[in-house]
Amino acid sequence: MLRIKNLKTLIKDKPILNGVNLEINSGEVHAIMGPNGSGKSTLANVLSGKKGYEISGEIKFDGEDLTSLQIEERAQKGLFLAFQYPLEIPGVNTNNFLKTSLNSVRKANGQKELDTLTFLKLVKKKSSELKIDEKILSRQLNVGFSGGEKKKNEILQMKLLDPKLSVLDETDSGLDIDALKIVAEGVNSSKNKENAFLIITHYPRLLEYIKPDFVHVLSNGKIIKTGDVSLSKDLEKTGYFNLTK
Amino acid sequence: MIQNFQEYIKNIDNISPQEKKDRERSLELFNKKGFPNKKLEEWKFTDIKKVIQQNFNELNPNNKLVKIKEINYIKDFEHNHILTINGNLYSHDFKYEDKDKVKIEKFKKEPGKNNNIDNSLLDLNDALFSGGYFLEVLENYKLKKPLIIYNYFSNDIKNKIISNKNLIKLNKNSYTDLIEFSIDDSNDRFFYNNYTNIILKNEATLKKYIIQSNKSKSVNYKFIKVFLENNSNYESYIFSSGLEFNKIDKDIDVDGKNALCTIQSSLLLNGNSHQEIKTKINHLKPNSKSFQKIKNVINDNCKAVYQGKIFVKDIAQKTDAYQLSKALILKDKAEFNAKPELEIYADDVKCSHGSTSGNIDDEAIYYLMTRGISRQEAILLLTEAFLFEIFNSIENEDIKIFLEKSLKKQIYEYKIN
Repeated sequence: MLRIKNLKTLIKDKPILNGVNLEINSGEVHAIMGPNGSGKSTLANVLSGKKGYEISGEIKFDGEDLTSLQIEERAQKGLFLAFQYPLEIPGVNTNNFLKTSLNSVRKANGQKELDTLTFLKLVKKKSSELKIDEKILSRQLNVGFSGGEKKKNEILQMKLLDPKLSVLDETDSGLDIDALKIVAEGVNSSKNKENAFLIITHYPRLLEYIKPDFVHVLSNGKIIKTGDVSLSKDLEKTGYFNLTK
Repeated sequence: MIQNFQEYIKNIDNISPQEKKDRERSLELFNKKGFPNKKLEEWKFTDIKKVIQQNFNELNPNNKLVKIKEINYIKDFEHNHILTINGNLYSHDFKYEDKDKVKIEKFKKEPGKNNNIDNSLLDLNDALFSGGYFLEVLENYKLKKPLIIYNYFSNDIKNKIISNKNLIKLNKNSYTDLIEFSIDDSNDRFFYNNYTNIILKNEATLKKYIIQSNKSKSVNYKFIKVFLENNSNYESYIFSSGLEFNKIDKDIDVDGKNALCTIQSSLLLNGNSHQEIKTKINHLKPNSKSFQKIKNVINDNCKAVYQGKIFVKDIAQKTDAYQLSKALILKDKAEFNAKPELEIYADDVKCSHGSTSGNIDDEAIYYLMTRGISRQEAILLLTEAFLFEIFNSIENEDIKIFLEKSLKKQIYEYKIN
């Protein structure tokens, strides 16, 4: 599904990624771990199409050159990024935003756009699965949401858009244990043979709830080690320092 | 141009010699000053002299009454209406009201009484005006349904100058929701020079909304003089997106204790349009309050201007005056000018002002795009979010829904990218 070959990125002449290779297939859950500044978020941003990076190397998504696609085209083709810091957008109603987003993706894929009633039914179902208080959906997007509400809102968007590949950028940061469980359950219940997940995290804690098939360690812009879930357990004991030195 | 005007005054039928003299004197005054240009402080951002020169070879005041077949009345909610055609009062219908409580007739000016404000466009209005309306709501009467004033401009007014005067008087403890809804069928340039006088007696409330139904190439100048007595409430909303050239000039005497004056606007400027809102709020008695919030989204080569002056007289203690202007600039060539001014002679007052302008938030655009929303759609969403804030303070749900729908249509009709 996703094939990254020798990906290098510069931001204002400063190298961030120094040759990342990664292959993710349908049905797989991958985790990328690494210390602060290792390039984890850059990788997520580059995949989403964020401007400001100079890129070399190859990123293929379902066989298509991802770098030639606009940000919204990537989303429409089934790539989803859950933000580490979801944006607060004053004045934009959350439900209206969710509907615009879903219908943009549906339209791009030749599906019929949902009318308001059908949409509200769908969003009600999905938000109750995530134990989201429905009231916040009629509020301005992420404005005044707690950290947990913001992250749950990201997962709600993921569930609504039903992407092929979901990239979760430090979704566990700022979550208490109850919210963490709900978020993990949201991911686990979305898993199927057709889709895949890339979980970016600093701490191994999230991986106790979402079991990855592969764990990669990113350091200085390169994947220096790949293993199974036991690698994250080792990291908890030894820390990144021993791996990177 | 001036010969056309002289000729016009000479040929007006059925007016007294005094009125003819008044008009001639006003035209002389205008002629001495000419159209206002940017050398005048009040016109420094809006050089109407240049605009007139660039857009008109001639301006004709011949404003004959025209008959029209049918206009598209708003069907969204029940309302009373007044119809003006090219500035002239044409018809009215107050079917939801007690007939003896609302008076409407053609505006008549008192002989010998011209405006005493140093403004050549008002002199010109005094010289050339024809047929606006005089609306009066009697004491203790609250209109049951909103009143929509349809200002219709017909398709034969190229190069014409439309001058009219309106007077709105709300007597003690009366209430009106009034929507000024302009429909321009002409697609041509004409100059609309309007003078509206609003008087709110004690405890009266007027909620007034200005909105356009469609784009218009007209050159608009609207001077609104407001008098507020004790405990009266003047609440004004401006949604005049779609006008290519517009200056709204408000001069408000808050001349009553506990009177309240609110002015809010939400405008989207596209193409080469130019819109100015100029306010002068004079707090003349103690304990009065004014609140202004001006919001502009400025695209392409447009220019938006806000000049807001707050004057507080020495006896107007405990005045509470606030003004804020916010602009969202979408293109490099788009321009926003704000000039707040405070002139305060009382020592126990609360006056504050603020102005911000900035570009659209790239991070917000990025976030929306990662959700499959195109850049254009994302900008429209943010534009809507920025402009819709004003609606929070509109209480009448019918009006609010209608205005939201109208503004939304205006936003999504334009191509912003």
